[in-house]
Amino acid sequence: MASNLRRVGSTVVAVMVAVVLVGLAVGPGAAAPEGQATWGVHIALAPTWFDPAETSGIITPFMVLYAMHDGLVKPMPGQAMAPSLAEAWTASKDGLVYEFALRRNVRFHNGDVMTAEDVKYSFERYRGASASLLKAKVAKVEALDPHRVRFTLRQPWPDFMAFYATPATGAAWIVPKKYVEQVGEEGFKKAPVGAGPYRFVSFKPGVELILEAHEQYWRKPPALKTLVFRTIPDESTRLAALKRGEVDVAYSITGPLAEEVQRSPGLALVPTYFTFTTWLVFTEQWDPKSPWHDRRVRLAANLAIDRAGINQAVYLGLSKLAHSFIPQGMEYFWAPPPYAFDPPRAKRLLAEAGYPNGFDAGELSGDTIYGVAIGEPVANYLQQVGVRVRLRPMERVAFFKEYGEKKLRGIIFSGSGAPGNAPIRLEQYAISGGRYAYGAYPDVDGLYTEQANEMNPRVRQQILHKIQQLIHEKVMFGPVIEPAFLNGVGPRLEVHGLGRIANHAYSAPYEDLRLRVK
Amino acid sequence: MISLVLLSVTIFLLVRLTGDPTVLLVEPGASQADLEAMRKQFGLDRPLWVQYGHFVSSLVRGDLGHSFYYRTPVLELYLSRLPSSLLLAVAAMAFSLLIGIPTGIIAAVRVNRWWDSAGKVFALLGLSLPSFWVGLLLILFFSVYLGWLPSSGAGTAAHLIMPAFALGWYFAAAHMRLTRSSMLDVLGSEYVKLARLKGLPEALVIGKHAFKNALIPVLTLAGINLVIMVNVAVVVETVFAWPGIGRLMYEGIAFRDFPVVQATVILNGAMVVIVSLLVDILYAVIDPRIRFAR
Repeated sequence: MASNLRRVGSTVVAVMVAVVLVGLAVGPGAAAPEGQATWGVHIALAPTWFDPAETSGIITPFMVLYAMHDGLVKPMPGQAMAPSLAEAWTASKDGLVYEFALRRNVRFHNGDVMTAEDVKYSFERYRGASASLLKAKVAKVEALDPHRVRFTLRQPWPDFMAFYATPATGAAWIVPKKYVEQVGEEGFKKAPVGAGPYRFVSFKPGVELILEAHEQYWRKPPALKTLVFRTIPDESTRLAALKRGEVDVAYSITGPLAEEVQRSPGLALVPTYFTFTTWLVFTEQWDPKSPWHDRRVRLAANLAIDRAGINQAVYLGLSKLAHSFIPQGMEYFWAPPPYAFDPPRAKRLLAEAGYPNGFDAGELSGDTIYGVAIGEPVANYLQQVGVRVRLRPMERVAFFKEYGEKKLRGIIFSGSGAPGNAPIRLEQYAISGGRYAYGAYPDVDGLYTEQANEMNPRVRQQILHKIQQLIHEKVMFGPVIEPAFLNGVGPRLEVHGLGRIANHAYSAPYEDLRLRVK
Repeated sequence: MISLVLLSVTIFLLVRLTGDPTVLLVEPGASQADLEAMRKQFGLDRPLWVQYGHFVSSLVRGDLGHSFYYRTPVLELYLSRLPSSLLLAVAAMAFSLLIGIPTGIIAAVRVNRWWDSAGKVFALLGLSLPSFWVGLLLILFFSVYLGWLPSSGAGTAAHLIMPAFALGWYFAAAHMRLTRSSMLDVLGSEYVKLARLKGLPEALVIGKHAFKNALIPVLTLAGINLVIMVNVAVVVETVFAWPGIGRLMYEGIAFRDFPVVQATVILNGAMVVIVSLLVDILYAVIDPRIRFAR
């Protein structure tokens, strides 16, 4: 009897301990997801964003990818490359082999368990930005067992992870092989299945996307039951919807409307930053007959610009001032000494260079968005020290066509938000043969080739910093500003997710979002 | 048919003058290889005449192509947006007729008096105020300040009120002016004078004898306007985030989505041709002189 009682007693204790432990393990986040949050999105929602294979090298699709899908490795709060569907990874000493250990028991929204075959399939199926480059560099992908994947490169490539595991591509975001083969490509776009914290419910192209919590998400069950993304193209209407509580977050609110958000009780203006920066290109610096050939003239132009003033006027002081054409958040960024706003010195430099009365500098070409918003004050500042430029706003497609074909002269107001790292940005704009490079310097080119084959990250960083130092010394560009992406946030969301992940413009991670307790 | 063929050639060439759409689908700084891969995927790497041949042969088979931006069949996109556009157009038309015709009749009957002047001011404002501005004012007043109506979107009757007003005002003003001038013409005609001389009540003269004939040009205009409302509500649909064809076209133009622009222009053109035909038939039904002339 006594032993029975002891047995019952120990069983009760064991059950109680188990209940407590489960309670502790699950914690408050394990409560069933509830409530809804709505986003007023500035751009038309496209089904291509539901498929990581179609990622086009812009940051926008990651607004949806972070909800519906998951990557082996992806940027997360505090980590540029956080283990996600891969628990860990290793790189061989010769830089040829990368091996990923997959997280076990991860389930897609349809209940299928993620395996190494899905990872291999997702890579082979990938056809988005830099697909040809990735596939040219990777010799083979092997599923060693259900939980291990090996990538073998043809030759050492220090940027493999920068391309594979950051928003530079979507190749590391995993789709269920069996399901895609079963429903086909069109079927997958209509009913996408992923391994992210939210599963697809419905979509009206360009209008509205509705997602629902995937409670089996490996990281934790989301707190919010439903996410709604509504396209509201007009900025004023987005603000009206935010004020009325129709949306909880209104993306891209600028100028006077952003000030209105700041003035409105209960609303908050939240800036986010991604790898977007703007800068001037002095296209004629390689022409000995041009005033721009003289470094002092290029330095004068940099000293003539009141970056803080532009930031205050256009972005309410919320953007970052740029002193390099490489964004501050990019890997291998080197912080140059800031350019002061010093018009008297700028005038002196122009006089020393032989232009005491300034000179006609031709056109300052830019697109009709940033080329006007930021380009116009830049042109005015240049005029004030005697660099007489005419602003030439161009329609965006025409601008990039002429820019890429090297047909523009004078000064170009350039900008890029392409993800990646410093060497990727350098290649396009500062190295011989770069798509938008109007010229280059042999020492910079030489160091660039050197770093491309350097597998030691520390040595590589030194070389990349040296390149940026040389570019700064030569005053190759006129960096202006890293524009903030301004967003309005309503009172309902306690955790809105904006700015939590470095270089990510949108709310994320979605599983962390929470409504305010009433 | 000739009009549609000409339209297809014109729009095919015009959209291609606007530049390379791949530039807008990637970040500046994308590699040349990525741009070329995208051009190949969209068939933009082929000679223009080959692209046109493919476009026409697909069109004949009822295939309007795949959207560059959405990567879905354009016809599917168009048909998914058409009901919203039709709903908005019908609501805006009902509003414009309910306001435009009665005010036009009253302005004609009370010519050069207070009602006429008020009608002229209404018409002047309707024709001159840009619809996006009217839309924004409506949102500000009825959504933000009063909180009566949703600011944007679709789904309920409340969502329809402001876009229908913003779209319909211009047309209400046009219908009012045409009704007024048409009624003035008819009221001055011999048979109306005779009806009055015969001592018929004024309401009967206006309602039965004058209004019916004055209605013919208004109906003709309303028929064409209905198609125009479906097709040109670009600004109103954008301001109110209304999911119609106008917004689809706006997105098509913004992203240089050639198949979307081509398809919406051709389908809208076909709609104009069909409705013009229907209006001609209706015209003959209303006006016996046209039937007899044939």
